[in-house]
Amino acid sequence: MTMALSARSLSVLDTATVVARWFLGALFIYMGLMKARDPVEFLKLVRQYEMVHQPFLLNAIAAALPWFEVFCGVLLLAGIAVRGAALMLIAMLIPFTLLVLKRALAIASAQSLAFCAVKFNCGCGTGEVLICRKLVENAGLTLLAAWLLAGCGRQWSARYSLLRDRRTAEVSPLPEVPVPASKQ
Amino acid sequence: MKRVVLESVLVAALGVLIAFGANALSPHGLKLERDYFPGDNRPLAALTNPATNTVGATQAQTHSAADHLREKGLNPVDSEKAEQLFRDPGFEQNQIIFIDARNDEHYQEGHIPGAFQLDRFHPENYLGEVLPACMGARQVVVYCNGGECEDSEFAALLLRDSAHIPAEKLLVYAGGIAEWKARGLPVETGARRSGQMSAPKK
Repeated sequence: MTMALSARSLSVLDTATVVARWFLGALFIYMGLMKARDPVEFLKLVRQYEMVHQPFLLNAIAAALPWFEVFCGVLLLAGIAVRGAALMLIAMLIPFTLLVLKRALAIASAQSLAFCAVKFNCGCGTGEVLICRKLVENAGLTLLAAWLLAGCGRQWSARYSLLRDRRTAEVSPLPEVPVPASKQ
Repeated sequence: MKRVVLESVLVAALGVLIAFGANALSPHGLKLERDYFPGDNRPLAALTNPATNTVGATQAQTHSAADHLREKGLNPVDSEKAEQLFRDPGFEQNQIIFIDARNDEHYQEGHIPGAFQLDRFHPENYLGEVLPACMGARQVVVYCNGGECEDSEFAALLLRDSAHIPAEKLLVYAGGIAEWKARGLPVETGARRSGQMSAPKK
């Protein structure tokens, strides 16, 4: 009975993880496309963060980031290189969230606003947002990506891992094919 | 974990290649080598939305923008002066021209009647028409949305520094279309000289 319950909850967890992967993938495709359809607007928004001043680097970030998000989204949706894509999302989400936080603090200070009353277009692909809501959203997305990184929910993946997992291969080796006896 | 990191490096490498390829193929793609913000020195951290250009520009923002324009060697004009130039008989004879520095979408939504368009991010599409008009005019008024919008400033710099339009005849209307509309002045929609006017709001 306990075994059955445990197997069932595992299945529910795996299904939930697959749904989370699809959700995260679809969201990144949507947000990437929203930026990619108007790269000039995204360029202006990236410039506000004052993270780079060389025109080439600024242009490169604004030109590549939206399509890169779409690419990662497609990988998650299709279930290709899931953990690698999830790690890339975390690598984008954490620094970007810190930049958004820094800029929100600057706006709050310059305009004498309460922190959670700060509303601006952070370049996230969803227009103007309230900062506190954005931070909660990004924390949620980072947790979802971390959950995928942990290796749950491998079902419905076209190619879950790009690289061969030796450990998995050792645990579940291919069934041995009996060698037919040679004809006498 | 090492395998995951290696996989993410592969994802990053392939993703970057695909991303730059998509940008190069996209009709809206950015030109990596172009400096879209020449002489950029404006503090940006406290701006809330320079991209979509908040319409409700405050007087303080307009004054601050005017000071900034002067620092760049440009001549700011206020709404009163812009209206005066619009009503001047020289406007009908193209002695005074207005240039809208925004993109197609914003221009089509509503511009100062008779204004030429110069989307500064794609100047090659517009300079053929705009340059002769600037050469023949005695005053050129450049504007964008107003507020935090900087497109008029950079379009004026483009005309001055790259197209060699004399600085003394270039004026920048910092209040932009937002203040123009707020004053209930006429706004033309669609193409230049389309004759379609949106009802002024008082």
